[in-house]
Amino acid sequence: MNPGKRVYIGILIVWGTLSLCLSGCTSKRNPGSIVYRLKWLYNVSAAGDIWAQEAGIFKAHNLTVDIREGGPEQDAIKDLELGRAQFGVASADQVIRAVAKGAKVVVLAQIFQINPLQWIYAKRNGLIIKRPQDLKGLCIGVTYGGNDEAILISLLRQYRISLDDLKLYAVHYDFNPFWRGEVDLWPVYRNIEGIIFQEKMAKNGEQAGFFNPSTAGIRFVANSLITSKKVYMERPKMVRDFTEAILEGWKAAMDPGLKSRVAEAIHRLDPDTPIPIIEKQIDATRALVIPRGNREIGTIDKRAWEQTRDILLAQGLISHRIDISPLLAGPPP
Amino acid sequence: MKTLERLVQFFSIYTVALGLLWAVKIVYGFSDYLIPSPLEILQIARQNGLFYVEAVLNTSAVAIAGHMIAIVLATAVGLVGRLNSWPGNLTRIAAYNLQAYPIVAVAPIIFLFLGDGLSSRLLIAAMICYFPLLLSFIGIFAEPVEEVEHFYRITGRINWRLELSIRTFENLDKIITVIVGSGTLAMVGTIVAEFLAASQGIGYVIRKALYQSNLARILVALFLIGLCSSLYLSLIETIGTWIKARLTGE
Repeated sequence: MNPGKRVYIGILIVWGTLSLCLSGCTSKRNPGSIVYRLKWLYNVSAAGDIWAQEAGIFKAHNLTVDIREGGPEQDAIKDLELGRAQFGVASADQVIRAVAKGAKVVVLAQIFQINPLQWIYAKRNGLIIKRPQDLKGLCIGVTYGGNDEAILISLLRQYRISLDDLKLYAVHYDFNPFWRGEVDLWPVYRNIEGIIFQEKMAKNGEQAGFFNPSTAGIRFVANSLITSKKVYMERPKMVRDFTEAILEGWKAAMDPGLKSRVAEAIHRLDPDTPIPIIEKQIDATRALVIPRGNREIGTIDKRAWEQTRDILLAQGLISHRIDISPLLAGPPP
Repeated sequence: MKTLERLVQFFSIYTVALGLLWAVKIVYGFSDYLIPSPLEILQIARQNGLFYVEAVLNTSAVAIAGHMIAIVLATAVGLVGRLNSWPGNLTRIAAYNLQAYPIVAVAPIIFLFLGDGLSSRLLIAAMICYFPLLLSFIGIFAEPVEEVEHFYRITGRINWRLELSIRTFENLDKIITVIVGSGTLAMVGTIVAEFLAASQGIGYVIRKALYQSNLARILVALFLIGLCSSLYLSLIETIGTWIKARLTGE
């Protein structure tokens, strides 16, 4: 065999091997399916979405849905704009920030009525936090740039608490400063890490307390179902069916009678979290998702959205005031 | 001249990349949320420029210190690694095996023991550029330059210092290239450390910007990182050229 042929064959083998390897790296999508980008990884905060898939609710609505995990680098709004997804989950601050910069998205439903972002603390030495003033003198963990920073700053401003009255600690992935007692309050998602931390503290004979900013009047809207204006205008039936399916999924997932089955479904996608913990997480999620009074799951709380916008505006996180009303479209009639 | 050349290269690449990004934005009609407008980038640069410059200088200082530590360590360990006795063999095996571990996976352990301060950033910066330096140094110090060493060996005048001097001198270009290349790694290592857990530096600024999906801030940060890297790398090249000129008498 001449050297030229050998080189060509070599290139072909390398190319073939690389193609085979890389073919497994691309995300598969069924033709005609809807891509739904979650805000975070599979966990209890997507209980209704997971249940809608597992229980065949999407199928019953003649929808083929490809649920994809989110994460810090996976922004549902960007996916919508790029046409990589038709629906997504985003928090109100993400949506408002994006709309303020010209993104064309609409909100179909508000999944969480209470923001799950709260602060956990150990009820030791008589420490009980009932009102924002109780935070004075404590060391509070905060993720700079995160939602918790915006919420905390807003809370401190509203209650005229100076930053000098407390100590802030920059939170990273390492929880040890909290366990070592160097930080008194640590930001957690009440329904996810909140439960895990609570269990761990109980094992060590400590009682966990939660400081919930919404009890102090700070309503900062969390996970909401969104789509692009284009999809909303061009495919209203699909948008309506999808919203109905998601809300059905959430209603069923929050039904105490289905708790163990929903927990199993979540566990299949999140095998690192044991089923008994997921069941407790579901209970905690129920309190955050089901609205008070006779309102339905998914009800959009316009005043809370306006407050979220005002918080972002006051902290310079958006450059100008936007009108919230056209954004909160809800499902098409 | 080399500094100017590097800066021109960097500015050209950055401008072309930004131009492409804006071309895509215009063609596809993307919003400012997806790709920021030139005006927004300028606004961010004006409002936060000084803070970002401070952050990138902080990062550069840590990266340079980490790089220096890595060079000293790699030279010392490389000298042991060139030996044919058991300490040399052990050093080589350890170096080849340890360099396979991704630093990002080890970083949480470092942060656990050293906290999120300067020491962690310094250690990660040093570690990320240490192994490529070490492997190159072992290779250079252990590889005989036969055409020169042969004479001294035959005449019985060879000793380890002379052997090292010959190998260093003959491979000076290679050593400078490796040190310049590892300088980039030191910068990357420091930024990774800051991104993961620190509360200072440009990596930390990028992490905050990512939380807020603010690409304009990231682009400003990238510009400053590129600028500092180019200046630092050209400084090492200049020092290398100066050392070479002094040694060769050119």
